Amino acid sequence: MAENTHSDVNRLPFERAIEELESIVKRLEEGKVPLEESVAIYERGEALKRRCEELLRQAEARVEKITLDAAGKPTGTEPLDVT
Amino acid sequence: MSTLLITHLACLEHLTPAGHPERPDRLRAIERALAHERFPSLVRVEAPAASLETIALCHPMSYITAIRDATPKEGLLGLDADTTLSPGSFEAALRAAGGAVHAVDEVMAGRAANAFVATRPPGHHTETARPMGFCLFNNAAIAARHAQKKHGIERAAVVDFDVHHGNGSQDIFWSDRTVMYGSTHQMPLYPGTGAASERGEHNTVVNAPLRPGDGGEEFRAAFETVVLPRLRDFRPDLIVISAGFDAHMRDPLANLNLVEGDFDWVTRKLMEVADASAGGRVVSVLEGGYDLQGLSNSVAAHVAALMQAR
Repeated sequence: MAENTHSDVNRLPFERAIEELESIVKRLEEGKVPLEESVAIYERGEALKRRCEELLRQAEARVEKITLDAAGKPTGTEPLDVT
Repeated sequence: MSTLLITHLACLEHLTPAGHPERPDRLRAIERALAHERFPSLVRVEAPAASLETIALCHPMSYITAIRDATPKEGLLGLDADTTLSPGSFEAALRAAGGAVHAVDEVMAGRAANAFVATRPPGHHTETARPMGFCLFNNAAIAARHAQKKHGIERAAVVDFDVHHGNGSQDIFWSDRTVMYGSTHQMPLYPGTGAASERGEHNTVVNAPLRPGDGGEEFRAAFETVVLPRLRDFRPDLIVISAGFDAHMRDPLANLNLVEGDFDWVTRKLMEVADASAGGRVVSVLEGGYDLQGLSNSVAAHVAALMQAR
């Protein structure tokens, strides 16, 4: 269900996803969400959290690659993949 | 001794917008489940209307009359994004509070072992002077205060296993050292209150929040390690249960995974505490539960457990 309802989340850049997630957490904590919508908004927050985690994992993998390269080889020979 | 089932047809006349989860069919589903042959000895009683003075044990009279006067002659009036008044709402709300009060009278007088009050609108979100979350008057809170005022008991406990935190009950009893309010509920979720750090002015508020996705194991652990020990120590003279069944795995408004057996378990555990300090006195009042199958099966398990009273 979450995959279908929140398919747009998978295209959000990190900054947008974390911004929306923070606003959802704030609204839930302040009790400003109607009871009937509360669970849908929570689930949207979960989808956003998964998106942020996925993007962080990808970024982490890239950082690891650079670190290994820097440790094993002379610098400047490996192109940095930032796409 | 018998278990009472207290309800009233007027509670079907509190109408909500089309598609709203808190709907009259909830009571019809419960009625069908309890019509089963497992429940022949259940004593059925009509809920009387509570007097405004009794409701005023928890809410200012100005709030009560404002709700009465706002009740529309036709159509629906929205009080907030969730909560509506229809022409039959005030009468239904009086019966919901009155059913809980009548249950207290019967149980305190020893004419029944315990009671389940199947009425709507529910109550536990209603704060001292604020309707919210489908609720108009705080039925369970009124029942607890009524037991103290009319029957002279010293300590009452309101135990709330609805999946949403009972912010209204917590608000009403926040400064009251004679009433313990204990709750398990999903966090984060509506209404946003219910952190374990919220303890009341006299440490008589006990919150045991659960995480989305938690099931029977975590629910039982929260009761075993947090709510039940505090309840035993408090030694209530009466236990009022805010019995919401929306922590059921089928429920559309939350993400917990309880099954019927968990509601049977918690009911028996609360009855054990009531046996130890309250002469077995338990009054259970319906709160939420929005999947008709999950609701009716869970109520059946809950009431069947209540009927096992010694």
